[in-house]
Amino acid sequence: MNAPISRDRRFAPEALAALEGELASRFAERAVVNLSIREQHGHGEGLADAALPDVVVFPHTNEEVAEVVRACAAHRVPVIAFGVGTSLEGHVAAIHGGVCIDLSQMNRVLEVNAEDLDCRVQAGVTREQLNAELKGTGLFFPIDPGANATLGGMAATRASGTNAVRYGTMRENVLGLTVVTPEGRIVRTGGRARKSSAGYDLTRLYVGSEGTLGIITEVSLRLHGVPEAVSAAVAQFPGLREAVQTVIAAMQMGIPVARIELLDEVQMDACIRYSKLEGYEAKPTLFFEFHGTADGVAEQAGLMQQIAAEHGGGEFRWAVAQEERSALWKARHNAYYAALALKPGSFGFSTDACVPISRLADCVLETREDIDATGLICAIVGHVGDGNFHVLVLFDPNDPAERAKADEFAKRVSMRAIAMGGTCTGEHGVGIHKLDALRAEHGEAVELMARVKRALDPLDIMNPGKTVPL
Amino acid sequence: MLPPDVHAELAVLLPPEALLTAPEDTKPYECDGLTLFRERPSAVVLPETEAQVVAILRVCHAAGIPVVARGAGTSLSGGALPDPRGVVLSMAKFNRILSVDVLSRTAVVQPGVRNLAISEAAAPHGLYYAPDPSSQIACSIGGNVAENAGGVHCLKYGLTVHNVQRVRALLVDGDAVEFGGASLDSSGYDLLALVTGSEGLLAVITEITVRLLPKPQRAQVALAAFDDVEKAGAAVGAIIGEGIIPAGLEMMDQPATRAVEQFVRADYPLDAAAVLLVESDGTPEEVEHEMGEIRRILTASGATSIRVSRDEKERRLLWSGRKNAFPAVGRISPDYYCIDGTIPRGALPLVLRRTAEWSREFGLPCANVFHAGDGNLHPLILFDANREGEIEKTIAFGDRILALCIEVGGTITGEHGVGIEKLSSMCSQFAPDELDRFLGVKNAFDSAGLLNPGKAVPTLARCAEFGRMHVHRGELRHPELPRF
Repeated sequence: MNAPISRDRRFAPEALAALEGELASRFAERAVVNLSIREQHGHGEGLADAALPDVVVFPHTNEEVAEVVRACAAHRVPVIAFGVGTSLEGHVAAIHGGVCIDLSQMNRVLEVNAEDLDCRVQAGVTREQLNAELKGTGLFFPIDPGANATLGGMAATRASGTNAVRYGTMRENVLGLTVVTPEGRIVRTGGRARKSSAGYDLTRLYVGSEGTLGIITEVSLRLHGVPEAVSAAVAQFPGLREAVQTVIAAMQMGIPVARIELLDEVQMDACIRYSKLEGYEAKPTLFFEFHGTADGVAEQAGLMQQIAAEHGGGEFRWAVAQEERSALWKARHNAYYAALALKPGSFGFSTDACVPISRLADCVLETREDIDATGLICAIVGHVGDGNFHVLVLFDPNDPAERAKADEFAKRVSMRAIAMGGTCTGEHGVGIHKLDALRAEHGEAVELMARVKRALDPLDIMNPGKTVPL
Repeated sequence: MLPPDVHAELAVLLPPEALLTAPEDTKPYECDGLTLFRERPSAVVLPETEAQVVAILRVCHAAGIPVVARGAGTSLSGGALPDPRGVVLSMAKFNRILSVDVLSRTAVVQPGVRNLAISEAAAPHGLYYAPDPSSQIACSIGGNVAENAGGVHCLKYGLTVHNVQRVRALLVDGDAVEFGGASLDSSGYDLLALVTGSEGLLAVITEITVRLLPKPQRAQVALAAFDDVEKAGAAVGAIIGEGIIPAGLEMMDQPATRAVEQFVRADYPLDAAAVLLVESDGTPEEVEHEMGEIRRILTASGATSIRVSRDEKERRLLWSGRKNAFPAVGRISPDYYCIDGTIPRGALPLVLRRTAEWSREFGLPCANVFHAGDGNLHPLILFDANREGEIEKTIAFGDRILALCIEVGGTITGEHGVGIEKLSSMCSQFAPDELDRFLGVKNAFDSAGLLNPGKAVPTLARCAEFGRMHVHRGELRHPELPRF
């Protein structure tokens, strides 16, 4: 699953030469063939198995993206969309060669309609940039994957984050898209209306399609009011089971907690060291955040405290001030880097299982036992409120046996989740690493996905070899 | 008439009472909630098991016979209108709730289960199913998924697509597939969203896992009166603009209020130009706080009176008017025509003003009753089909409203679906490249076009034809169809 990737070009060198010439004359210095730039665009943040694109183009408009795609279609050369390269599943690796379209220069917030709680941005706008531009409007965009990803990339991978339990994922928060089709035409899906039952739901089809059906160039997003009151708390538990049971009980009671994050003892240990968290022990830990009115927040927190205490949780440590909360969540967002620092020189990747809440305790505990049996260094962290958790798996890049062991373990995590009625990917996407798991998870429906892919991209030039096995 | 060999094959699969072909037996199936369109099917089948549905689909697929799936027949866009060459596949006997999982807060149900029955079954566990179309006592969950139904409470809790987690369905050739899964997220293309709202054109739904929500501890509704429709529209924007998402935010204008009051006797303010119903739910503290904010904003927006429900009985009474608005309007006018256009909320005052102007221009009364928080309009144009020229005027009026909805960035249908009714309007809302994507999707699922043919997505040829018709304004659109 996380095995090294090979490169196999699908087009003749003459086709590439002709295309390069066309792109160079049209885009001049914005069509780059320089090796270091191509290297930067050959991989995300997951594993370092790079597959370099042949050309990187930096378009500025929808029409320019369409021009590049039309040129590629004419020469049957693959097209790979690129945001800021934070994907964890090899989405941007040019495994069949081709042209990388880097959207990072399409970074304008096009409109903010405060009274309608929506906005429209170009695909290259990052989530932090959007929130910085929203300051002063009383609104924010909640979805926060660990990385400061682009909103186009987040839509393409159906990203989620720490507060999906309250605000949903990209699936719930994208209102509409502008997409360049594999023929190089510009289509718009959805719109500013809050709901529409006109035609098939292409918006959600493109959300999570990982660049395999078209290139997302603009995203209309739903915004949310900044809550009147916010408070965050940390509780530590004697064991993993108690921490997970606390989460399950909270979800069952329907407490509208905004964030509920689990860090196991290994992850907590890593975060304490990496982010210099003081006064915490390396024990299974839950991070909570509550949003609402002052009274509402106090009420939710009170209930949560009661549930945690019933499950053996220690005293809540509160972080009410903005700076304290930021420090806490920064530590959480840096969990991946913190874990990597546990074993200097190691490489790592993250699993992404998501299971029904009723199976969460079984899945997390069995996974922890599995880790202990493998002898690998692994940390568990997750947005457990929606049943999604990650195992950060470390391995020595120079030790093929350890890498194989890590790959086998990752496969078991996916299969365990699927066997429990869950999924191999809650938010990172399928990419190149989870094609087998997709088949196990969906059976017959995978063939239907392939039919949709063939119907909408008959030449198979859009990010080929990813997301859906053909 | 079914070809005799097809009839014979179906007769082997189904008992006689589950295979209807006599005109008197198929007549009840000739239309759905949109009674303007009627068509007699060749046959109606009423299977009881998924195996029977598989076999029926195989027979029809092999013989090239169209299949129109039907739930409770409450569609307002002609989604269940039969195909004269085809079979109506009634899912009415799939009416069992298979399980309620309290821990995962989900229920597995068959498609023929009524929307409200799910909440009734979940109630002992303190749970309910949130989407609540006005027809919820009758409409089936399978139809809700096929149409991506909404309702009064979808402003806060989402549409059907947000509340369904897994769908089991049969493809046109009878192959079973599952979309989504038991967990909140799922991998690969979002086929679950694609099949939701696909109006029976992609697959036949046989089983659904819905999400259940904990019943809010408390709910309270405020009824606010305004002396001006535009002020009420602006109040809607003001509430949402402050970041408050009420559980329901509905509007009725004076013609609607007056019609409803005769019907439900809820003591609505009859002198008001418009009323808003604003609901808050949650814990008692949250509701008290939010209701305070809502009252403040309503007052600042010029509400002339505000009445807040004191108990559950009064809350239900206030809502009963809204939920019964359609039948109530049906009592004051021989015919009415409901539009479903949806717009960005900010455009509400403009669209309401234009609608009122056109109502005078056409000489047709128009009652507005709608999901204001979502910007989902339901203008009810009142007319008398027996009066010379009123049908044509009504259509022209409705078209103008829909064209304006598209112009302000909205859509021709928020929740009722395209069906047969709005097929030509699809050509105005979507460009040929966009329609081409829809047709590509359809082709991936049902290349022969046997599932619910002629609905939801127009062919490009049809749009070309429509384009020509559009030049000659005033001409009756799609003359090949019996209208009204």
